[in-house]
Parts: sequence; structure tokens; C-alpha cells
Amino acid sequence: MTAARPVVIEARKVSKRFPGVQALTDVDFELRQGEVHGLVGQNGAGKSTLMKLVSGVHTPDAGEVLVDGEELRYGSPRASREAGIAVIYQELTIAPEMSAADNVFLSGGDRPAGWRSLSRLRRRFDELGGLLGLDLDASERAGSLSVARQQQLEIMRALDGRRRVILMDEPTAALGRHEREALYRIIGALRESGIGIVYISHDLDEVLQLCDRVSVMRDGLLVETRPREEASKDALVKAMVGSALATRPPLVADASKGEEVLRVDDLNVPGAAHDVSFSLHRGEILGLAGLVGAGRTEILRAVAGADPRATGQMRIDGQEVPWPRSVRAALRRGIALAPEDRKSQGLVLNRTAAENVVMSDMRDVARGGLISRRRRRAAAAAACGPLAFDTARLDVQVSTLSGGNQQKLALAKWVHRRPRILLVDEPTRGIDVGAKVEVLRVLRHLADDGLGVILVSSELEEVVEAADRALVVAGGRGAGVLEGADLSVDRILQRVFAVEEAA
Amino acid sequence: MSAQATSVRGLFSRYGVRLLRTYGVVLALVLVVILVASQSSAFLTWTNITNLSGQWAAAGIIAVGMTYVIICGGLDLSVGASFSFCAITAAQVAQTTAPEVAFLAAIGVGLVIGTINGMVVTLLKVNSLIATLGTGLILAGLGLVWTDNAPIPVTDEGFARLGQEVAGIPYSGILLVLFLVVGGIVLARTVYGQWVYATGGNLEAASLTGLPTRLVTASTYAFTGVCAGVAGVIAASQLGAAQADFDPDLLFDVITIVVLGGTSLTGGFGAMWRTAVGIAIIATLDNGFNLLNLDPNFQDIFKGAILIGALALDSYAQRLARAREG
Repeated sequence: MTAARPVVIEARKVSKRFPGVQALTDVDFELRQGEVHGLVGQNGAGKSTLMKLVSGVHTPDAGEVLVDGEELRYGSPRASREAGIAVIYQELTIAPEMSAADNVFLSGGDRPAGWRSLSRLRRRFDELGGLLGLDLDASERAGSLSVARQQQLEIMRALDGRRRVILMDEPTAALGRHEREALYRIIGALRESGIGIVYISHDLDEVLQLCDRVSVMRDGLLVETRPREEASKDALVKAMVGSALATRPPLVADASKGEEVLRVDDLNVPGAAHDVSFSLHRGEILGLAGLVGAGRTEILRAVAGADPRATGQMRIDGQEVPWPRSVRAALRRGIALAPEDRKSQGLVLNRTAAENVVMSDMRDVARGGLISRRRRRAAAAAACGPLAFDTARLDVQVSTLSGGNQQKLALAKWVHRRPRILLVDEPTRGIDVGAKVEVLRVLRHLADDGLGVILVSSELEEVVEAADRALVVAGGRGAGVLEGADLSVDRILQRVFAVEEAA
Repeated sequence: MSAQATSVRGLFSRYGVRLLRTYGVVLALVLVVILVASQSSAFLTWTNITNLSGQWAAAGIIAVGMTYVIICGGLDLSVGASFSFCAITAAQVAQTTAPEVAFLAAIGVGLVIGTINGMVVTLLKVNSLIATLGTGLILAGLGLVWTDNAPIPVTDEGFARLGQEVAGIPYSGILLVLFLVVGGIVLARTVYGQWVYATGGNLEAASLTGLPTRLVTASTYAFTGVCAGVAGVIAASQLGAAQADFDPDLLFDVITIVVLGGTSLTGGFGAMWRTAVGIAIIATLDNGFNLLNLDPNFQDIFKGAILIGALALDSYAQRLARAREG
């Protein structure tokens, strides 16, 4: 079906080298009109580099990128825009203080230099919204919209320039289930209108559901492109990892639970959590399961002392303690938080890996206040050991590392400090399959060492797989604890929807 | 041929950018020194250089403190006013008591000023530019009121001691080197220094890691206050007098020194050796203009152009580095 449609973008034998890395080698790639083309591969496989070549951000070292049969002018965002190519990056480019409509028509709409007719812009805004089946208020401040809505603004922006190609880099990574469904519908509408879409995602189920064709990348090569009908999850995973097929280590829980290390009663965070209670045992991974916006992150932050508005009762080892009013107070009680966004909240990007790891506790790396580089390196290497982080990279600036490696460092930081209770917020977001397994294995390893771990993840499958018990959260309230055979995605969703319907 | 070109470009983007970003400022210093030395034989002499160290001690010592503030992600615009105020304090107290007491009083006042700055920024959460602009204005006004805008001369001979020399080197120059060395070691090698970098590099990550970020931030202003106190004492001692609005160029010189050295105004990146190089460049240029009898008015034009040039170069190198990572 798609084969009959004309090709919009074609990359012919493109190669790109960065210092120290051959990012792409002789890649052939094509996108047809009205096609959703999935692009999958592990982190570092070259997906993003390929997108940057196709969108004209980078210049290929060899090969060429053709748009409608003519070579693209590289290095000029303007030329790409005129060629009808839009990119929606994982990190959104929304100006939070401007209105929704102003964000969509950021480049000035159809009259870049001229007088802006507000009523015309508003009409055009509603038109675009209608096209996508969206109901957005043009005058709403963009910063107060949810991430999903902001993303919809970006899609509208892409549509406004009469684009024919939209490249989406992990658009669903930050979305909840409902929001994903909405995005799928939008993508369906875009496809119908003849727009070609390249869709990068780590979620293979999603790719198989959504895409007409799927291309797999590995180590800078495009290893295969096949129509959806001929693709399966297993085949994709095999193609992604190549011959070195990772055997999944079992993540089974040790059935013997330790004593209660943390008990939280009647936790309240204004506007986010109401009367939430739960307990956590030594050696246990407790999942907080729920949809985005259910209050999971807020609960974690409150327990970690990062939200001064929180109130509630806390018991540690059965002893009543005052609610921690600061991160430092929580740390003194042995509670540590690995936050949701490792780049903006977890790591100091322009310092080295080793410096970041030991940041959490420098008592052992300094003598008389002076830091010993040797001790720092040794301590960091020791903390990174269980995480399979390449210690040769300890002296590298964190900003140059991949998402998976950054996440390992964000955890290594707490391995180094050895808290008694570790709160982990979305540790596997945006990292590849291999790194995901490793991160979850480390959490289990830490629990086996006697830590109590609380895990928040948007991927319910992951909670089911990795946690011993799960507290279901919906609408800021606890909706029961599931464990054993009851801990399944279906049961979690049942609980969630029971609350949502009651509300 | 194309492969050849690629590899040369590759080599440049691999090593060139990093070297340029790291040592471009040293290269600039070497060029400026060669330029001035080739035009004037008086420049590279022991006497001239030790004189310069005394001349630039006040601005240099404040720049040491400012380096901490900027790496920690802030900026202190009150240093010019607090410098003058501390100098006045020294001169006023010296009217009635021993010079040593006057010196300590001035440094103590500097500490108080810096602590107040730090508290306004961290506790009242006022943007550091506005906070220190405000305290600077207040201090400048207080200084004028206190002195009636007249110079305060000091007759006590002991008061002038800091402006004198030992073994041909001015005390003030020795103090400058001491501040640079100790300030540099603390910044680069201690736990506290790491906290300063982390707080400036990513405030949220630092505070979620449990670092005492507010204390760290406030301490950089307090230290800068002390530096302004020491600088004020040095200047008052050198002149044997003090005055409100002592040195209107001081604030600009201090910021130029730190930024020219390559310490980033976005916080989290920088080093004390950079500030030392910054001092050397500014002192060399200034001295060059004097030695060559050039119109001093051109000097400001030149300084401004150099400052913009340095920042543009740094931002270019950063963009190259980022492109390499992406």
C-alpha cells in the first residue's frame, strides 16, 4: 500500500563521524508520503544522528539526503523548514510565558514581519486544533498546560507551516496512557492527510501498533526495514541487540521480607496527595503505580523532604520522627531521592562522572578538607561497580554520556552514600532496553543488601516486573496495595479506573 | 582529499576546541605581553611587575571573591560600594585608634556587608543582580552621608604600612598572591569548593543531593565582602586616605578580570588560575597604555572590545563543544 506512494525524503548511503565515534555508516533510509515510519534501536545506535542528518542539522560526511529528489541544504534550519520538515524533540521548545496561540505561531504565522491580526491567528489556531481533533484554549498560558498539551502545541506549530514531514523523537516518553492514546489519534489524522512521519520510540508495542514500516538501527548501521505485518517484538529486539542477545536475568523477589523500615501515615501535599499511607520493609521494592499526574512524584518528593508543604506522620524503624522539612533532614534519617529528571535535577552536567558520584558524601574522599583525587576515583569506581558503568569514563564530563549511563550515575551517587531508604522516580525513562534491565537489576541488588526501595514508573509492566508490592495511586489518593499474584497491570488499572469513575 | 579534510577538521574539533576553551586565555596573555614588551623595554622589569602587583591588589583580591560568587551562579554588583565603604571605615576608625584595629574593623564591616548580601539572595530569594545593586546603592549613599563626600586623611604612619614594601615587593602584592593561591586551592581541591561548583552548575541537583546550597551561596557573598574589606584597607593604606566613591572603575575591572579569564557567567564553570590570568591581562594592557603614553580614553574602548571579544570566543567554543556532543 505504502509502496505506491511517492518518496518524500531519502537518505542515500549517508555516513557521519564524530570524534571517537562512527555514528552512522552507509545508511539508506526513505520516508514516503502518508507513512508512519518507526525507528528503533538502543541508545547510541544512531537514531538521533540520522534524524539530525535528515532534518539538515548535521552535514553528512558521505552520501546525500534528498528531499523530493533534490539535495537538502545542510546546516540551515530555514532551508529544512522551507522543504517542509519539522522536528519534535523530546525536550519541548515551548515558551512558557506566552499564550498557546503565540507558541503555535512563534515564527510569525503567515505574515512573519507584518501586523498580527489576533482574530485571524485565533481562527487559524482553532482550525489547526479542529484538524487534529483537539480542544485547546488559544489564550491559555502555555506554561500552565500539561506536557501532553504542550506537545500538541508543537504538533500544531509543525502543521501550520504546511509541513509534509514530521520527525518525532520519543514523543510518548513523558505521557500517560490516555495522553498516548490522544497522540496516536493525532498521528492517525496526520497520516490520513498525507504527512510522512518518522517515529522514534523505545516502546516496541507502540511502534508495532502505530507504524506502517519499522527500521532497526544498531551501531550506526540500519540493519533492516520491514513492513509492520512482517515485524514482531521478538524479531525487533533480536535485530536491535544483534548477536549479543541479552539473556534477561530473573528479577524474582526474595520472598523473605525484613522488618518495617518506613511507615507513612496521612501524608498530605496540597493539591497533589491526600491522606496517603503506606509501609516499606527492609529488602523490599515497593512500586508506586498510577497514571501520570496521579501524585506519585509528589509523594516521593514529600517523603524525601523536598516539599516543605507536606504534612503527615512518619515512622522509621518503628520510631515516630518529625516529617522531614528539607532534603538534608531526610538524608540524615537515611532517605535519599533519585529524582525524575536526571539532567536537570540529578546531575551536575559539566562536572565529571566521578565528581558527581561522590557528591552525595565526601567524608571519605577528603583528608582535612582537601580532596584526594585518588580516593575520589576509588570511591566512585566502587560505587559504580554494581552498575556496570565503564570506570574508564569516570573522568569524563557527564554531559557527554548517554542517557543510560547518566541514569547509572544518578543511582551510583546513592550507592556511594548508602542510604537506608531509596526513592527512585522514573529510573528507566528514555533509556534503552539493555540499560533498563541493568537499572532494575541494580535496584533489586540494593534491596537484597537491605535497602528499602520505592520505585515510581509510568510503565506499569515495569512496576509489575520489578516490585514486590505496589501501592496504586489515583487522583492523589492511595487505592490499595497489590502483591503476589494480584500484582498485575490489569489489577492496577482496575483500581485506577475504579477511583477515576468514582470521582 | 575529502577524507583528509575531514580528519583535519575532526582533529580540530576534537583537540582544538578543548585547547582553545581551556588555554585560549593564556594565549591571549602571551600575545598581550609580547606586544607590550616589544614596544617598551620598561615593561618586563622586576620593579615594574612588583609595582603592578601592588597597583592591582585591590581589584585582584575582590576578583578572587567574585570568582566564587560567579562560579556559584551569582554576581555581586555591590563590591565597588562596599570597597569604598570599608576604606572609609578604616580611615574613620584610625582617627581614634591603632591602625591594626582600624584594619580589622574594616574587614569586619566587609564581612557583615557580604553576609547581608548572601542573606538577601538566599533567604529573601532576591535575584543577585538586583539584591547587590540595591545594597551597593545603599552603601554608596551611607558612605556619602558619613563623610560628607570629603576625603578622610589618616596621619598615623602605621596606617600607611600596607602600602609599603618588603624586600622590594609591596605588601599588597604579597596579599594578592596569597589570596589567589589559597583561594585557588580551596576552590579546586576542597569539599567546599566542590559544593560551590555543584551549586552553580545545577542548583536543583545539588540541593536534592543534600548539599547545603543556601549556606554555600551565602558564603560566597560573605567571602567577597571580606575581600572587599581587605581591598578597601589596602587602598586606604596606599593613599593614606579614603573617600566615598573611591574608585568608580573598580566594579567594571573586577567583572572584566573574572570573565576575561574564562569563568562562565552561567555558573558552574571557571577556575582561580583563570582569574589570575585575567588580572595579568588587564594589568598588562593598562600598563602598556601608560608606558606608551597613549590616550587613556582609548583604554576603555579597548577594554570593552576585548571583553566582548573574549565572551564571543568563549560562546563560540561552547557551541562547537556542544555540536560535538550532539
